[in-house]
Amino acid sequence: MFSGLTQLLFQAYESFGVLDLFIQIALAFIFIALFATIIAYSVILYKRWKAYAEEKRMNFIRPKIEEMITEQVLINENLEKVPVDEIEFDPAALNDNIYKTPWVRQMVIETIISYRKNFRGEVGELLRKLYIDMGLTKDSFDKMKSIRWEKKIKAVGELTQMDIQISDVTILPLTNSTNPSLRAAARNAYIQLSKNEPFKFFDVATEPILPWDQLELFKIITTTKDIAIPNFSRWVSYSTNKSVVSFCLKLIAHYDQQSAIPAVMDLLNNKDHYFRADAINCLGKLTAEAAEERMVRIYNTQPIYCQLEILKALGRIGSGKHLDFLKSEFLFSSNFDVRMNAARSIIKHNTPASRALIDDLKETSHDENRLIISHCQNPLIKY
Amino acid sequence: MANILIIEDDDIMLKAIKNILGKAGYNVITAKDGKEAFDQMENADYDVVVTDLMMPYANGLEVVSRLRGDATKRHVSIIVVSSVGNEETITEAFRLGADDYLKKPIMAGELLIRIKKLLDNRANHSKLVTKKK
Amino acid sequence: MKAIARFFSSGVFWETVGEFYQHGVFIYGTSLLLAYGMLAIMSLISIRRYIKRNSTADLNILVESPLAPGISVIAPAFNESVTIVQNVRSLLTFNYPKYEVIIINDGSTDDTLEKLIAEFEMQLCEYAFRATLNCQPIKRVYKSTNPAYEKLLVIDKVNGKSKADASNAGINLSSYEYFLCTDVDCILEKDTLLKLIKPFMDEETTKIKEVGTPCEECGFQHIVEDFKRVIATGATLRMVNSCDVDGGLITRVRPPRRFLPRFQEMEYIRAFVLGKMGWDLINSVPNVSGGLGMFDKEIAVKAGGYDSKSFGEDMDLITRMCSLMKANDRKYAVRYVPETLCWTEGPTTLKVFGRQRSRWARGLAQIMSIHRKILFNPRFGRLGLIVFPYNFFFELLAPLIEFTGILYYIYLIWTGQINWPYAIILIIFVYTYSVMITTLALLWDQITFKYYKTWGEVIGLCAMAFLEPFVYHPLILFFSLKGYFNFITGRKHVWGNMQRQGFGNQAKKKTEPNPA
Repeated sequence: MFSGLTQLLFQAYESFGVLDLFIQIALAFIFIALFATIIAYSVILYKRWKAYAEEKRMNFIRPKIEEMITEQVLINENLEKVPVDEIEFDPAALNDNIYKTPWVRQMVIETIISYRKNFRGEVGELLRKLYIDMGLTKDSFDKMKSIRWEKKIKAVGELTQMDIQISDVTILPLTNSTNPSLRAAARNAYIQLSKNEPFKFFDVATEPILPWDQLELFKIITTTKDIAIPNFSRWVSYSTNKSVVSFCLKLIAHYDQQSAIPAVMDLLNNKDHYFRADAINCLGKLTAEAAEERMVRIYNTQPIYCQLEILKALGRIGSGKHLDFLKSEFLFSSNFDVRMNAARSIIKHNTPASRALIDDLKETSHDENRLIISHCQNPLIKY
Repeated sequence: MANILIIEDDDIMLKAIKNILGKAGYNVITAKDGKEAFDQMENADYDVVVTDLMMPYANGLEVVSRLRGDATKRHVSIIVVSSVGNEETITEAFRLGADDYLKKPIMAGELLIRIKKLLDNRANHSKLVTKKK
Repeated sequence: MKAIARFFSSGVFWETVGEFYQHGVFIYGTSLLLAYGMLAIMSLISIRRYIKRNSTADLNILVESPLAPGISVIAPAFNESVTIVQNVRSLLTFNYPKYEVIIINDGSTDDTLEKLIAEFEMQLCEYAFRATLNCQPIKRVYKSTNPAYEKLLVIDKVNGKSKADASNAGINLSSYEYFLCTDVDCILEKDTLLKLIKPFMDEETTKIKEVGTPCEECGFQHIVEDFKRVIATGATLRMVNSCDVDGGLITRVRPPRRFLPRFQEMEYIRAFVLGKMGWDLINSVPNVSGGLGMFDKEIAVKAGGYDSKSFGEDMDLITRMCSLMKANDRKYAVRYVPETLCWTEGPTTLKVFGRQRSRWARGLAQIMSIHRKILFNPRFGRLGLIVFPYNFFFELLAPLIEFTGILYYIYLIWTGQINWPYAIILIIFVYTYSVMITTLALLWDQITFKYYKTWGEVIGLCAMAFLEPFVYHPLILFFSLKGYFNFITGRKHVWGNMQRQGFGNQAKKKTEPNPA
């Protein structure tokens, strides 16, 4: 019997050897394909079943967690009567057996975070206390030790959301990680949590800060409590990292740091014209009247983006000293965008002189220029 | 007690505000998107409407404009609660007639105080009106 | 001389030719299948990478941020009177802080425009703009008087008989630096803008260095970050046919009940989840589908915008944008998102379906012939050495080779020369392999995002993988050949009368985005 089977297999193998190479390949692929298809279906089955089971469990647990947080935090009797530090939670509610399972604990962390995204103030503080009192800090720190970068990012995110100190020894090595996402997350955490010199990395950053990271940084810098806002002109003057400088320009405009105007004006000499455009934009937002004269003077030597930015800046500053310049640009430029921005800036002045000028221009202009003025005057059109 | 309509598409936030305002003794009705909000607005009369900005079917600005555009509902106080922080959106909300704008994350205490203030103002206002008569 | 003639007329010659052909086809087929296998692996890697990267990112940061870039949503409408109000309403509820919605009424003959004006309190505006891209004249521009709809801009223009023309008009009037191209009758997920703009902002960069020659305008050499500029992003599309839709929103996803659209759903999943995501890994995405795509406006405008004469305007634009970047020696990337963000109506009748597919095939042939200098041209980098060769051999030539293969088999059967066991093995080989590839695509889709609720729906879709080679594939083959035929014969007409081409039905069924 056994020898018969061997015989058969051997024969099959023999005849396989005789077949054309093509057919051999084809046969091999048929088996691979069949095998892969069966595996694929099994995985689909398994995954769906698992997801189903998970969802069922979650749907059972989620209301419990929400109820616990609602009772302990949101409608806590002592809220706003007793200082947050002194509020005690009901031990029975926190020590429920379900909060011993790791994945439930993870869910509690995530739920607390989503509440924290909606509430600050006393409620936010109490949520943080709940996180600490339930010992979830340890869960997050444990995740930090994982070798998987996405877990580390998650841990860093949780700890910063909860405003928990991470020692410099733990976080600084991560700021040099080879993984860019982890690097960015660690850097953000450092800025948010480090009490001394949060902006140190601006000095050392050699790589561009991606626009996405700028968003995160901007949020952290503008929303973190008691962060000492430095004078950003420092980096405008000394940093060689282009993205650091342009990011600092945005921060300068946001914090309206008037003292930075001279440093920003120095950038008008910079050889990179995208840089100059950013600087002009910043000066406009700072309504730096001192820079007007200079911008008008360099106007003719500038490329078009810088020219448009200068026109916009003149509108923002609105000193009225350069209405004639704007008028001549509007009347004599051959570039549509220049005329459009000149008209818009004149209108933005909104002084008796500018209004008179616009009325005058509207009457004397030809069709397209008149259309531009009506367009810019229309309150329904924003751009 | 005052009737408050909360319009918010984030489930957690919706329940949380409901609980907090409920605890403060207000009568709270909820809507989780623009369509439900319009239905609820037809169904009953509210003293205060707390609305999110970005949500399905209709955005918060539409809710504000509809309330302000309807003579029978013009008296309703409106508080916009949103995570949108850009200046244009905030001024737009006020221009349409919102009474207050709270940026998320909000302080629960602040929300309660603002609601109370709006209700007090209205009470004073209506007292004045009745006195004049 | 005679000997040669005898050689040709003898069986030996034809046998050699036949053998040569047979081997050629086998090698071609195997490499095609291998390419699919590679794509399957590459797509798994890039989908996992996407999920990992995005599991830790909080999109809400973008919603809150004053630094969020502005996006113009451009949606042409032609005779959409029934659904226009709801669909525009849903476009106005995106989860995004800074965007505008531009609806282009492309010379509708029904009351589409009137409905928009009434519902959204639109008012005629004097609007100054520069016609940077070619399009039919714009007649009127409307803005809403109600600040709740301040994001909305409605353009009324002369019908340009193509979606490309209408989109160009929208781009001309758009005011932000990115634009999203879609269709009024597509239903979009509310996080679409967040998810599509993100790849533009987090493309990894390397060092900063000084590059290039001194600038013509200022005479200085510039410090440039040596970065890859993302020029376009796209996402997966699915069929809306049997989904539950309420007020312009999907409330429940379902695969189409009818066979024809259900085949298309399977095909879309394969083309997007497996195809596009696979190409994404090596930065060689060939096309961003016309149903949903976000573009860097500066590059798109410099590349000349959409070509209204093209039958495959979406791929044509991407090709021109890529070659523009390459010509300027700039690094670029086209990125894809594996999540489904757009639901579109798939044709349910053979007639409409056939017209759509013939047009796609014709579009592909047109692009290959217009841009033929890119093929195998190392100056175009990946575009010339990967994207174009793949599309040329495995998309353009596939139907032709398949068709001649079928003819050859018929000839063999007819003359009794066929080796039946071998032929059957080969057929089983191709069949099992194609089922495997489709199954893998469905698996990648299932393990990452669970769109369907019940088992039955998944099984119903999987069954399509087994039927496809017998039912759906022959149809595609037929319509593709028809498209090529139109391309060859159509081109002769072009010289005489451009206007007379069969654009007639295109205006209505202009929407189907090509997943290929």
